[in-house]
Amino acid sequence: MKSKLKRFRILSLVLALVFVVGMLAGCQKAPESKAVTITDMTGREITLEEPATRVVALSAADCEVLFAVGAGDTLVGRGEYCDYPAEVLNVPSVESGYETNIEQIIELKPQVLLMSTMAQTEEQVKALEDAGIKVVVSDAQDIEGVYQSITMIGQLMGKSAEAEKVIENMKATFKEVADNPALSGKSVYFEVSPLEWGLWTAGKGTFMNEIAEMMGLKNCFDDVTGWGEISEEQVLERNPDIIVTISMYYGEGPTPVEEIASRSGWENVTAVKDNMILNLANNELSRPAPRLAEGAKMLYDFVSGASK
Amino acid sequence: MKHLRQDSFSPLTLGLFALVTAATLVFCVCTGSVSIPLSETVRVFARALSGRAQENTSAASIILNVRLPRVLCVLLTGSSLALCGASMQGLLKNSLADGSTLGVSTGASLGAALAIALGITLPGIPFAGTMVMAILFAFLSLIIILTLAYRLDYSLSTNTIILLGVIFSMFVSSILSLVITFASDKVKNIVFWTMGSLAGSSYLNALVLFIVLLICGTILLSLSRELNAFAIGEANARTIGVNVRRTKLIVLITVSVLIGVCVSIGGSIGFVGLVTPHMVRLITGPNHKRLMPACLFGGGTFLMLCDLVARVLLRPLELPIGVVTSMIGAVVFVIIYAKARR
Repeated sequence: MKSKLKRFRILSLVLALVFVVGMLAGCQKAPESKAVTITDMTGREITLEEPATRVVALSAADCEVLFAVGAGDTLVGRGEYCDYPAEVLNVPSVESGYETNIEQIIELKPQVLLMSTMAQTEEQVKALEDAGIKVVVSDAQDIEGVYQSITMIGQLMGKSAEAEKVIENMKATFKEVADNPALSGKSVYFEVSPLEWGLWTAGKGTFMNEIAEMMGLKNCFDDVTGWGEISEEQVLERNPDIIVTISMYYGEGPTPVEEIASRSGWENVTAVKDNMILNLANNELSRPAPRLAEGAKMLYDFVSGASK
Repeated sequence: MKHLRQDSFSPLTLGLFALVTAATLVFCVCTGSVSIPLSETVRVFARALSGRAQENTSAASIILNVRLPRVLCVLLTGSSLALCGASMQGLLKNSLADGSTLGVSTGASLGAALAIALGITLPGIPFAGTMVMAILFAFLSLIIILTLAYRLDYSLSTNTIILLGVIFSMFVSSILSLVITFASDKVKNIVFWTMGSLAGSSYLNALVLFIVLLICGTILLSLSRELNAFAIGEANARTIGVNVRRTKLIVLITVSVLIGVCVSIGGSIGFVGLVTPHMVRLITGPNHKRLMPACLFGGGTFLMLCDLVARVLLRPLELPIGVVTSMIGAVVFVIIYAKARR
């Protein structure tokens, strides 16, 4: 009995010792723990000594994520097509995509370059790394990927808690709009480019498709993969209940909604008859960014409001 | 001298051409991205002609509002472009001359894009501003290229003209890209201007094309004799009493108008004007009195078939029509060229 107690004492002593040593080690490590190691979305591991304070982001989505997690003030350069939120326009713009200009980026002296996988070559990435700029690639193909990129950017900027919050909000909104029986089975046609330039739609593997499915809507063109130019005849034949156009309106001529409603031959399309045409003109549904949730909510409100 | 002979087509032959073209038209209206049974198509037309209400509304919309205006526009564009190609090849005595090889179409595209970017419109008439600018720029392009060519090489050899055309084309495309970059909100799509598209054509488009083709076509066809003379050589034309300056100017203006209108409606569609006259020549021979009317039918038929391929090959997707014309056109051209060499 006594020896058992003794053994217990020794054990607790050892445990306490381990604990203290661990604490000490932890304390010693604490100054270093500012170091950030992340794995970007192409699987490359990137280590920073501390969260980034000077960032250039080439894709519009990454800019939006930076602002969403409260790190917008670290942005020292942006891709030319980044336009949301409005403050981003005050940040110097650099060329992106196929025109990506390494010199412009190096001149801004960022610690980190955020970009998507679209157009950068390995040589370009290497040139940037040689200049001491860490290249972090985000590549969200679906909503799960968007969460991943938000988490990654949050870690990178030392804003993990904020990032978590952004994701939670998105999830809450998506949950709110998901699977409303009143909407299920309704068909939706996403118009990415207007008739004048040839009709383009968003098919399988796009955010629009994913959000439509989440809401129980059926994308008319889920047999198309990605974005594709489709025949006008097909739209009339598939007769969508809802039309969502992402065309921008520039203040002259008919609005995108009026233009669709006035197309000859479209007057018999259900969406036109029921006036179920929604214009989401600010890239809400096309960018892998937190605003996908807003776009989904807008679509949901539009459809459910009208279906009452 | 060939043109002294009775050498234009007999009404019978012309009727035959018209019949083939009409058959192609019917075929292209009955076939499309969405399969509609022939009986349904016939019923839609019967009801439309007798003024009765349509039963199957989606089929009626597809055929009457989408397919028919588009096929008509394609037919008229094809005819216009082929006629332009034949006229220019004759006038310049150059078998490679055409709106696209000389950079005229690119010039017209630039004019149209500028009109849209700068908001140039003529009050009251829809898309007239775009059209007038396209015509002006097409004509300017022709004048620039020909002036340069005359300066550099008075004989206007094939190589000089084509080389200048290609260089001019590249130059204008770069300006076009610039315009598109600066006005990306309005002048959206570079594919439209470089590959063409007749999706979304309306009856109004078809009517405009028809009127323009009627006027310009009549002028060009009436110049067949003069073009025959030019095809042998400008000096020859002068000796046999052709008013060289005047004829040249009329042909160039007429061609500019036709190309300008076609480009402002359907974008620049390559290869039709270049290839069709060569294909047609295999049947008619080089005499413009036969070649020109045959091109009218041949160009329309060729482009309608190309558009059909563009519409149905990847359905429900659609290809830009220029992709099809260039693919078919290039292959056909090489075959013809190789045969002619032998």
